Amino acid sequence: MHGKAAIAGIGETTYYKHGESPHTEFQLACIAIRRAVEDAGLALTDVDGLVSFMDQRNVPVRLARALGLTELRFAATTWAAGGNSMASAIQLADAAVSSGHARHVVVFRALAQGQFGRFGQAGGSGGYAGLSGSLAWNGTYGMLTAAHQCALHTARFLHDHGISQEALCEIALACYANAQRNPRALRRGKPLTREAYHASRWIVKPFHLYDCCPENDGAAAAVVTTLERARDLPQRPATIVAAATGIGPQYGAFDMQHLGSAFYRQVGKHLWEQAGCGPADVDVAQFYENFTGPVLIALCEMGFCAPEGVEEFVSDGRLVGPDAAFPFNTSGGNLGEAYIHGFELVNESVRQIRGTSTCQVKKVERALVVAGPGYAPGSAALFGAPS
Amino acid sequence: MTRADDRAAGVPRVLGDAWSLPRLDAHNRAFFTAGVLTLQQCTACEHVQHPPDDVCEACGGFDLGWLASAGDGRIESVAVVTQAIHPALAERVPYAIVLVSVADAPGVLVTGNVVGAEPDAIRIGDRVRVVFADARDPQSSAELRIPQWEIVAA
Ligand SMILES: [Zn+2]
Repeated sequence: MHGKAAIAGIGETTYYKHGESPHTEFQLACIAIRRAVEDAGLALTDVDGLVSFMDQRNVPVRLARALGLTELRFAATTWAAGGNSMASAIQLADAAVSSGHARHVVVFRALAQGQFGRFGQAGGSGGYAGLSGSLAWNGTYGMLTAAHQCALHTARFLHDHGISQEALCEIALACYANAQRNPRALRRGKPLTREAYHASRWIVKPFHLYDCCPENDGAAAAVVTTLERARDLPQRPATIVAAATGIGPQYGAFDMQHLGSAFYRQVGKHLWEQAGCGPADVDVAQFYENFTGPVLIALCEMGFCAPEGVEEFVSDGRLVGPDAAFPFNTSGGNLGEAYIHGFELVNESVRQIRGTSTCQVKKVERALVVAGPGYAPGSAALFGAPS
Repeated sequence: MTRADDRAAGVPRVLGDAWSLPRLDAHNRAFFTAGVLTLQQCTACEHVQHPPDDVCEACGGFDLGWLASAGDGRIESVAVVTQAIHPALAERVPYAIVLVSVADAPGVLVTGNVVGAEPDAIRIGDRVRVVFADARDPQSSAELRIPQWEIVAA
């Protein structure tokens, strides 16, 4: 199935700060889907599949009504998870069109946290009367958010490999620097300096404010179809060279074997096996930054460098701009562009293949997107220029 | 078991009496009530796993019992929370969340708090032992003994 499917269209809404969207989440979803379908040169009635992830509230029957999708025959979501399953959704759409279960599948993510409250805030404003399930084990001790969990993995990773706070800072600096080129980016016009990073308040050590992705409202969508059909559509196709999910026996809890991990070793193994190439063949990469620390770990686990070398790998501007040694989060990523649970990174990967990024890398043959680190199952997708 | 009992009474909860309590179920009742660090152990293969589940992760067995751990551990990671995400914790920041490996349960990590330590002074590698904070759940009237940790040596 490798390389049989492609992304033929992408779309997104304007991105908004948390709670500032003039539209409901459902309206945002409809806007992004309409734009992706239009970008692909298709009609809404051509869409026969819908895929999403992370407990998507905007369900297919409602979307079919609002968008006039008269012939839906494939509708699926990844097994409940967070942003770590973002690329699993691409994998699911790839499987659907490659097998012929659907012809044009829209993969999307929409969120309006002003309308529905924030993700990762278990208990919400109602408090935590009675900590049940995994919250009993962790919430009893004040471990309540993804930031807390990722901080514990990161602290151990930094400790084991002698990595300094500067390595985390470099991830934030690169995302903010690349965002300055991107008119869609919420952090455009707000460049970040090393001094401002260190002066910002701690959220949970070792994470400063700027290590943590913001809360945003918006939606993004992509149309997946076969490469064969995509060639007849107006946009240059971004081939899905490989898409991988990695599930191990981790339970989502902590154990010694996985302490300091981002849960991406298996994802890397599956992705490179499927793609028939390796990290050295990647021209540009988008890494989902829930927090900066897990990105460092994921870089290592995906095979780009050893933990002992990761600080050097990300330092001295090696991630910044289109001519970077390692072109990285070229739209600004979750930190700089917007946090649409990483789906904006899929669209940026497609732009890099098309040659239309605001931070365009030269001669992009392969563009990697890595979904949320720090939670199992992780996922990643590799897009390619059509041969 | 006796050693933990000797030190039983009087340790405060690091997060305070106002903070939420675990809702007891078949998997966590022993951990939060026994007054001994109690971990799930497979009857067939003696593997210890945490958190508990219905099936042994080592042999697939369904017959699971409990290990009364001696409660000696080591800090394996620490994160200091400086921004309270719930009003009930506003007075408690900064507080440290730790992951503790348990000497007689290799591979297991237990989430916890450390009593009587400056959050920023807690280090990976610190030796700790379990202590218990007594609590009564006003909703269920359950009497709880919440495992926490104290540093015994760096
Ligand atoms: Zn067993």
